[in-house]
Amino acid sequence: MGDLTTYAENTWCPGCGNFGILNAFKRAVGRLEEQGIERQRIMISAGIGCHAKIFDYLELSGLYSIHGRSMATVQGMKVANPELKVVAFAGDGDAFGEGIAHMIFGAKRNADITVVVHDNGVYGLTTGQYTPTSEKGFRGRSTPRGSIEEPLNPLTLMLEAGATFVARGYSGKVDHLAEVMVDAVVHEGFSFVQVLQPCVTFHDTYKEYNAKVEIMESIPASFEDAVAIARYRDRLPIGVLYRTEKPVYHRELHGDWNPVSGRPAHGDRVERIRRLVAP
Amino acid sequence: MNGEVFTFFVGGKAGAGVKKAGSVAARLFSQMGRRVFEMDDYQSLIRGGHSYSVISTATRDVTSHHMQGHVVVALDKRSYDIHAGHVADGGILVYNSDQVDDGDGIGVPFTTEAKKYPKPDLRLGVGAVVALAVAIGMEKERLGNLIENEYARDVESNLNYANAVYDILYPEMGGRFAVEEGDHARPLLTGNEAIALGASAAGLDVYFAYPMTPSSSILHYLAAHDRDLGVTVVHPESEIAVINMAIGASFAGARAMVGSSGGGFALMEEAFSLAGMVEAPLLCVLSSRPGPSTGVPTYTEQGDLRFALGQGHGEFPGIAGSPGSVEEAFYLAAEMMGLVWRFQTPGILLTEKHLSESTMTVEIDLSRVEQAEPEMHGQGEYKRYLDTPSGVSPLLFPPSDKLIKWNSYEHDELGITTEKAELIAKMHEKRRRKGEALAEHMRGVRTVNVYGKGGPAIFAYGSTTMSVLEALRVGGIEATVVQPRYLEPLPVWELERYRGSKAIVVEQSCLGTFSSLLREKAGIEPTATVKRYDGRPFEPAELADAIKRES
Repeated sequence: MGDLTTYAENTWCPGCGNFGILNAFKRAVGRLEEQGIERQRIMISAGIGCHAKIFDYLELSGLYSIHGRSMATVQGMKVANPELKVVAFAGDGDAFGEGIAHMIFGAKRNADITVVVHDNGVYGLTTGQYTPTSEKGFRGRSTPRGSIEEPLNPLTLMLEAGATFVARGYSGKVDHLAEVMVDAVVHEGFSFVQVLQPCVTFHDTYKEYNAKVEIMESIPASFEDAVAIARYRDRLPIGVLYRTEKPVYHRELHGDWNPVSGRPAHGDRVERIRRLVAP
Repeated sequence: MNGEVFTFFVGGKAGAGVKKAGSVAARLFSQMGRRVFEMDDYQSLIRGGHSYSVISTATRDVTSHHMQGHVVVALDKRSYDIHAGHVADGGILVYNSDQVDDGDGIGVPFTTEAKKYPKPDLRLGVGAVVALAVAIGMEKERLGNLIENEYARDVESNLNYANAVYDILYPEMGGRFAVEEGDHARPLLTGNEAIALGASAAGLDVYFAYPMTPSSSILHYLAAHDRDLGVTVVHPESEIAVINMAIGASFAGARAMVGSSGGGFALMEEAFSLAGMVEAPLLCVLSSRPGPSTGVPTYTEQGDLRFALGQGHGEFPGIAGSPGSVEEAFYLAAEMMGLVWRFQTPGILLTEKHLSESTMTVEIDLSRVEQAEPEMHGQGEYKRYLDTPSGVSPLLFPPSDKLIKWNSYEHDELGITTEKAELIAKMHEKRRRKGEALAEHMRGVRTVNVYGKGGPAIFAYGSTTMSVLEALRVGGIEATVVQPRYLEPLPVWELERYRGSKAIVVEQSCLGTFSSLLREKAGIEPTATVKRYDGRPFEPAELADAIKRES
């Protein structure tokens, strides 16, 4: 494996925010390797949509999942082999539409996974419909007179659901995003990274983000501060909003057991069954 | 009672210890070395209503409950009204005289006696066990031991209550039935326990499930015994999470299994197809209740046959099997775990409430079970979807310095998404060849059970097989019972020899889907289809009459 690039032809639109996310993640993997997390242990998954093409572009192992399920897919990987570091890429439709239950429950159970949400507020691959994070009034192909729903706030939602690592990055600030991603993957617990990502074709937010995005100098002092900052609308602070340590799901479930590498030998398993069914 | 079936009935409100009394009776008979079949009939509620358990036992094989009881205990009025008609010739009806005045049979003030102790409702089931013990002439001391073992909580009250009921009943019916000892004690398992254990024997690592009757007891059993077995059990937010997590676990190299009933299984269908595309080995248990939709949660039906065979959008090879007994549920679960790993595709173990939740004595030969083993990648370049002659691409699990990409999109051999015409066709053909290899492999597997000889051919699958076999014993009917253990691929090569012969199909379905499947795929023209679709399993004596009418 070389610079994490595959032979897949990149078909994102020129100027797409996904390039920033791809480049940031490649840098993050390099830095993770420096910290002893080899790329062989980093498993990726993705939902369906423009964001998900990152699966083909990254020379990393994993499972290209279906819409809204990459967060469930990687939870299964983690439970089966806790030695793996698992990262789910998801679109805003994946994470907060089709698969919102997996986000809330992944956070609630503090599954040791990282979810990177490419949040562009539009369904790009299906050519421009409103999503759970589109602003009210968004004119898309299913809402020609403007969306009549208020958007969800992914950050406050994840904070309330119990995520133990909540951060926001911007695809236009690649170095900063890479740092956030490293912290997210290293964090033991449910790490949520919202990436503000313009869609140059259907929802071009570069101007707004360039004006509003500001890098936070430190992690907010408390959960309440994090929630307050997550609610800002006039400016969009990026960086780690909240980080705390809590027991992770797989350890609560089976301690240091590794179902794959710790599997009982066949003879041992059969003996266990014999004891259990003895009349 | 030499060689004959003895049947014990206990009925009452949910919460009165009815099911517990049934399982105590089943254990008592199995400890006596007898074969046992226990069927629990209960409603979808927690307290009240009506529930009953029927335990039929013999020194020969017994594969169904019988609806004619030798000792019938009615713990409340509703049970008396319902079960008075279930007393066999020479049988005894013991009823609760606190609720029924001057009934037929022997009245016992079960409630009045129970009210002398705390939580009187829970005590009633003990009374039913005592009635059985008295009927078979159990001495008081042995009954005391039984109560101590089975009803350890507040054991003093239970013993006092049991003695009081014993003293009332013994003069009336003590030792009425001589139930002889059998050859040796056998384990008692429900179908769901057998499935859980069979999968475990083949190497189950992680079980994922969301509760849904009648599949839930797989989840309960494995959760209760996870550390004994070395199996991890995960109960996430939905069936959709269940199957997607399971596919992720399978990617990581874990032998995973999921289980549900119709509605939950329908939620899993999208990812079932994902498993077909990424070629994930995955064993799925589908335990049917009467449908459609919510249907009747705690009762039985075989209405999901076409649903099971048609799982998943798109074309990919599937495996479906259905066990014809609790014992076979163990072996089939193990076998199917092996098959899904060998052919890297999802498989469905189709069963019904009547097998999932009925309890039988079993004799299991653990040495017959092999661990599921996939074909693993050896040395050199690795391609997840290597285009092999058999269509089976060797597996490799992370962490690895090789790239391992499983892809829900159509993909090339490495697992990168493709839209190229020749690759789409090539990958379709790879999966088709895998299906052909599977079908070829199945010719060397026991795909059909045949019981008896001569007479008409009777076709049945799943739990209905048990009913048919018992009906033939009860009715003294000569017939050849043909039970496909596998339904996908349907073992036509075994079934076609019955073309043109007199064929009776027995199934728990309103539309006769098994019958139509045999006609469509195996060219068998059933002369009659005996159906039951009121949620209740066939009763052997009634089924024997129906078969005789059609023979």
